[in-house]
Parts: sequence; C-alpha cells; structure tokens
Amino acid sequence: MSERSEPAAGDAFLAVEDLHAGYGDARVLHGVSLRVGQGEICAILGPNGAGKTTLLRALSGMCRVRGSVRLDGTDLAGRSPDAVARRGVAHVPEGRGTFMPLTVEENLRLGAFARRGRGARQSVADDLDRVYGYFPVLRTRMRQVAGSLSGGEQQMLAIGRALMLRPRLLLLDEPSLGLAPLVTRELFGIVRTINAEEGTTVVVVEQNAHLALGVAQQAHVLETGRIVLSGSAERIQADEQVAQSYLGYRV
Amino acid sequence: MAEFLQQVVEGLGAGAIYAGLALALVLIYRFTGVVNFAQGELAMFSTYIAWQFMAGGMAFWLALPLTLAVSFVGGMLIERVIIRPVEGAPELTVVIVTVGLFIFVNAAAGWIWSFLIKDFPSPFPAGSAQAGALTVSYSTLGNLAVVAVVMGALYLLFQHTKIGLGMRGVAADPRSARLVGIRVGWMLALGWGLAALVGAVSGVLVAPLLFLEPNMMGGVLLYAFAAATLGGFDSPVGAVVGGLIVGVAETLAGAYVGFIGSDLKVGVPLAIILAALLLRPQGLFGRAAVRQ
Ligand SMILES: Nc1ncnc2c1ncn2[C@@H]1O[C@H](COP(=O)(O)OP(=O)(O)O)[C@@H](O)[C@H]1O
Ligand SMILES: [Mg+2]
Repeated sequence: MSERSEPAAGDAFLAVEDLHAGYGDARVLHGVSLRVGQGEICAILGPNGAGKTTLLRALSGMCRVRGSVRLDGTDLAGRSPDAVARRGVAHVPEGRGTFMPLTVEENLRLGAFARRGRGARQSVADDLDRVYGYFPVLRTRMRQVAGSLSGGEQQMLAIGRALMLRPRLLLLDEPSLGLAPLVTRELFGIVRTINAEEGTTVVVVEQNAHLALGVAQQAHVLETGRIVLSGSAERIQADEQVAQSYLGYRV
Repeated sequence: MAEFLQQVVEGLGAGAIYAGLALALVLIYRFTGVVNFAQGELAMFSTYIAWQFMAGGMAFWLALPLTLAVSFVGGMLIERVIIRPVEGAPELTVVIVTVGLFIFVNAAAGWIWSFLIKDFPSPFPAGSAQAGALTVSYSTLGNLAVVAVVMGALYLLFQHTKIGLGMRGVAADPRSARLVGIRVGWMLALGWGLAALVGAVSGVLVAPLLFLEPNMMGGVLLYAFAAATLGGFDSPVGAVVGGLIVGVAETLAGAYVGFIGSDLKVGVPLAIILAALLLRPQGLFGRAAVRQ
C-alpha cells in the first residue's frame, strides 16, 4: 500500500525530505517525506494526535525541525515563521489565529503586511476586493471587531487573511473544526475555487477525510508521526479497507 | 466654587504629567506584556540628556527633538540587548530585570551628573492666562497641550499607518503576527523606543516643576502606576484619563481633606491603585485584568 503517485523529485514544488520535528524533548514527527506538485491540493489525514498540526507547523517554521523542506528549490527548514511567510507560505493555523480585537478589514490588511514597494497600496485594495468576492459576508462585517464573528466567519477571515499574502503555498489546519456541515462544504468549495483560479498549491490537514479527499489530488495518512499511506485521493477514497483501518470513518 | 475650579485646573496640569509617564508604561505593557519599573528612570535619564544638550548652549526647542531621538534609539537598544534575552521568561524574571535596570540607570545618572539638584528651564513662558475668576498658568496649559499632541500623534500612528497596524497585530496575537510575515522582535523594540520617547516627554515636563535630580521620577512613577491601573494597563486612552483623574484627586485631597495636606498626598495614588484593583481590576478602559 505504499504506491507512489507523486511527482518526481525534480518537478516537485514542495519537497519534504526526512522531516523530524517536536517540542522540546517531545519528538512528534519521525522522518516524514512527501512531495506536492505546483497547483495541487494535498490532503493530510490521520487520527487525533498523529502530528498533522505539527507537520504544518514544521513547514511554516513554527517548530524546530531536522530534515529538509524545499519550496520551489528554496530551503525553508530552520527559518523563522515570519521569514517563511515572506517567502510566500500562508499558514491558517489550528484555532484560526484571528487578531480578535482588530476589525475584519484590519485582519485582512495584516495578511498583506509583508507586501511593499510601488503599487502596494493599489494591489492591497485589489486583493481586498478579491477576498470580499470569495467571502461576501466579510465585506458586510468589515468594520466589525473580528472577535465578534461566528466560527465559520472567523475561518473565512483566516483563509482570506492567508490569501492577502498572495501565497505560493497555502497551509490549512482543520478548516472544518467546529463548523456546521453546510458551512464546511461551502468553505471547501471556495478552497477548490481558489486553487483552480489562482493555481495556489494547498496542503490541507483534515480529520474529516471525506471532505478533504473530495478536493485533493493526493493524500497522505499520518499516524504517530509517520506517513503510513500515500496515494491519489480517489484511490484512498475507494479503498474501503483503508478507510476502515486508517481513517475509521464512514465514507 | 471658583477656588474649587482653580484646584481642578491645577490638578489637570499635574495629571497631564502623570498621564505622559502612564502612557509610556501602557505602551510597553500592551506590546510586550512587561510592566517596566524602570520607565521613570529612563525618563529621568532622557531629561539629563536634554539638560546636557542645553548646557552645551543648545536652544530648548532644538535639544528636545534630539533628546527624543536619542531616547527612541536608546529604548530600542535596551529592548534588544537587555530585555530580549529574558523574553518569554517567567514574569517575575522580567520584573526583576526591569527593577535592575531601574537601579542601574539611577546609579548611572548619579555617577555621570551627580546627585546635586539642577535647574531645568520650563519650555513655557512664565505667567498665566486669566479666564474669569480662573487663573491658569501657561505651564499648566502647555503640559496639557503637549500630552494632547502626544496622544494625537500616537493615535495617528496606531490607527492610520501600516507600521501601527503591525504593532497592534503583534499586541493582539504575536504568533499570528509572525505568520503574516511581521518581524515581531523589531516591533517589540519599536514599542520600547516609543515608550522611551513618550517617557522622555514627561520627564522634560516634570523637571521644571521638581528640579532635575536622579530621584526625581520616583514619586511620579507611583502616580503613573495609579493612573495606568485606574485607566486600564492596556489602554492608552485610559492612561491619559487615569492620569488626569489621579492629578485632580491628588490636588483636591491636598487642598480639602484636612489631615492629608501636602505631605500625605502620596497616599492618594496608593488608595487609587487599591480601589481600582478591588473594584475594577481591568481599569476603566482596559480589557485584561491586572493579574495580582
Ligand atoms: N505545543 C506542544 N507542546 C508539546 N507537545 C505538543 C504540542 N502540540 C502538540 N503536541 C503533541 O504532539 C503530538 C501531535 O500533536 P498534533 O500535531 O497537534 O496532532 P494532530 O494535529 O494530528 O492532532 C501530540 O502527542 C501532542 O500531545
Ligand atoms: Mg491538529
């Protein structure tokens, strides 16, 4: 079951090689390797505590790592989160990371903080329009304090903020957590649209495997810090036995 | 009645000074979560720098911007060199570092400039304006105007500039701030620089009233703590309003409460701190409660 459907090393946009990560003495990831092609959506599945969140944190510089993380040829491992962000990686963290006391629009503007140079003002305004286009409800709430938004709206805000970075790589940590099924489906629809329209490469962590496999091209199953299964999304979706033993869900 | 109003006006003048230092305390607390016990001493040191410039023959209005610039850079350096290594350490550690800084700066000023008091010129003309039965000295008006200008400038910085938005982002959620590409360390340093600058303004306002000497800010710091506690330790507006209230309360107590007089006035800020902590720990304008 270790069938590889990933791009070869040469043309991988994101190439993770033998990645180890943890917190202090606690080691969580034990040698994770995976590749994601440009413009692809990659799903990371697995049970609670498997290390999915830690994997995203390792990719965005939020925890100590050993191994290599290459984005379009540039090594990201060991860089600070702000340096990684300035290289085009937008991480929507577990818990959404909303700037609670700030307004919706200020949250979005902060997403574009790293942008500078001539024309930045206009391009930020354009991107605000674009994000409001994806999430019209945010436009109606733009002067409202972000802490007053519902869970679903905060998740939209978090994704909108990430888009303001004009990411080359978008990392999403359990966007469905705590949201009503209808909202979740809408959100995944938008992720798919963003991926299609802007060609943004996405790595999405989900416990709701069904949803994630619906939008992803390929998927990896993580268990206790190791990838135990990789393959195309259809393949993993189709394999009932896999679903039973690794994902423990009802397709 | 006229006499009472007169006391209120005097109180506002004193309060403007407490408001200035309280503003500095609140700036650092908001951005870094540190209660900087050395804030008053830094302000005192800045005032000596201004004095030194003027002793060299420089005009006040030239010495002031230079002093503010030096203070700003000095504040940033202190954050980078002294505070950075204990960032994220337990609160007590950080408090002790700022207390150590207090002692060090105080001693350094004494060593450089001696403990003898020095005259410090008032930037405002002597004399006073007359409004009906009220007499308001130009220095009181000047102090209030300066604090209003500082407040306005900070408002513009935080609400209408990108760097200000970044600083508020860091204050709200440092981790998310990193994820959008903000160099959080530099923002914290900027917060210290700004606080040192604002503190320097309050030092320069205090010095003409109290004489310049290394211990001049001790009492003022106490009033500033009362102001910040009352207004809310994370609210710049609260710091200013708190400062004005503390100034008025102190002046009125000194004038009308028989047994207080001018010697026991210092008890007023302590009473205010205590009352605020008991009745409204987050302060009038604050969000987070001061942890006891
Ligand atoms: N900040 C942290 N400090 C220490 N251990 C952590 C921290 N975050 C997660 N862990 C541990 O790392 C392991 C993996 O957690 P996590 O990456 O959050 O898993 P998942 O997202 O797949 O549920 C868990 O055993 C968890 O207890
Ligand atoms: Mg998780």
